[in-house]
Amino acid sequence: MDDMKLLRDFGAALEHEPPATLARQRNRLTGARPRRRRVGLLVTGLAAVATAAAVAVPTLVLRGSVAPPTGARPAKVVTGALNVLLVGTDSEVGSKRFRKGARTDTILLVHLPADRKEITAVNIPRDSIVQIPRCGSVPARKSMINSAFDQGGLTCTVKTIETLTDVRIDHMVEVDFLAFKEVVNALGGVQVTMKQPVNDPKSKLRLPAGTSILNGEQALGYMRLRNYGDGSDMQRIKRQQVLLRAMMAKAKKMLTDPGKVSAFLGVVGKSIKADEDFDMETMVDLATSLNDSRLPTFLTVPWVPSPDDPHRVVWKQPDAEQLFARFR
Amino acid sequence: MITQPATRGADADLVSASWTEPEAFAELFDRYSAMLYRYVSKRLGPEPAEDLVGETFLVAFSRRRSYDLAYADARPWLFGILTKLISRHRRTEAARYRALLRAPVEDHVDSPADRVAAGVSAQAARPELAGALAALPARDRDVLLLIAWGDLTYEETAQALDIPVGTVRSRLNRGRRKVRAALGDTNPLLDEEA
Repeated sequence: MDDMKLLRDFGAALEHEPPATLARQRNRLTGARPRRRRVGLLVTGLAAVATAAAVAVPTLVLRGSVAPPTGARPAKVVTGALNVLLVGTDSEVGSKRFRKGARTDTILLVHLPADRKEITAVNIPRDSIVQIPRCGSVPARKSMINSAFDQGGLTCTVKTIETLTDVRIDHMVEVDFLAFKEVVNALGGVQVTMKQPVNDPKSKLRLPAGTSILNGEQALGYMRLRNYGDGSDMQRIKRQQVLLRAMMAKAKKMLTDPGKVSAFLGVVGKSIKADEDFDMETMVDLATSLNDSRLPTFLTVPWVPSPDDPHRVVWKQPDAEQLFARFR
Repeated sequence: MITQPATRGADADLVSASWTEPEAFAELFDRYSAMLYRYVSKRLGPEPAEDLVGETFLVAFSRRRSYDLAYADARPWLFGILTKLISRHRRTEAARYRALLRAPVEDHVDSPADRVAAGVSAQAARPELAGALAALPARDRDVLLLIAWGDLTYEETAQALDIPVGTVRSRLNRGRRKVRAALGDTNPLLDEEA
């Protein structure tokens, strides 16, 4: 009889796996402000984090935080429902391709109802001509929605969308090029199927027709790809939705235990910006509440071509209004 | 699978990086928090484990400037800090082992083949093991468990506890002798085995 073997077996029987909430301890290190601890949140079956992978990434040590808009904001009506604004920007700070300013090329408003069952993600076309309210010293103007970010940051984008939709945005998340690549790589790549081969110098994407597994760099190229199909932003949005859905499905499959979840968040969380209130604990709470959710339904704001410029769009009313009414 | 960064630097590099960029220290948490959690959960149970792991990293962070960069691997350092923190919970630990003397621990997934190979049911030996651990002096228990449950080598244990390797060996032998005695084995030849 080997006493050390018996002792090790004994230890293995006593051992517990770390819960997802262990990641809160990391916040103590990084100076995140302490929050009250909720009891009973030892998370099992965290597969659901992934359901909102897009929502789930902005935790742990965030690269920076975004201030919410000041002044009057839409009231929060339904208790327990949550609206998260997720933007993908073309910011490449520090890279060779660095350009002036940054635009929100992907704008996604994710609505989580109080029961968390039917999640809806609505794409807001970047080419939407809208009324942008006054942000700081920048006066109000009519312009493309993606310029709100360039002039006033994510705070201004949030203010613009809140003004347009009368939907209160509870949390906001910003993912730039680098962050997006890291998320895809942390997922181990993501699979897409193309009808036609792609060879696009602008997005630097080359893909054969058929199914490919994209790494972070390629997935970014795919997200940016415009010179494909009819070249419209609308078709691009459709392609983006396919990719995001595939990413979420992959995340849901992969992040099956709390250890994997915290490792995933540890890798991707660093490169993402979110509002200060969207911290680890909030995230874990949210993930826990998503256990029974299906993958989100993707929609696009109803639109018509702009009467002034066929390359731009304006929101179609009253359809858009009716869509957002469900989010309030 | 989660893709790790292609080049994984030594822990010591992270510690020295954290001298100027404190965020770098969080990477150490990502590497070792789960390992430390499992270790504490064995000794003290899951309830205090989360907090103790957090505490360990806070203490380590506050002492990061005195870390000896000659040691590439930070595990012994972290286990050393954790061991000191566990010692404040000595009563909890002893009570835990005593409770295990009475109540059987939850069933653990051991293949029947393993049990046959071991020649003795580990399950059946648990009350004796728990009793022996509860009775061990803390310093012998620390050494025994860092090796058996923390998977540290003798050298790493010596480094963690800041004692000579020879002392590690003698404490380990003493601890093992008592465990074997509790298991009813008195073969003196095994005593010299290390």
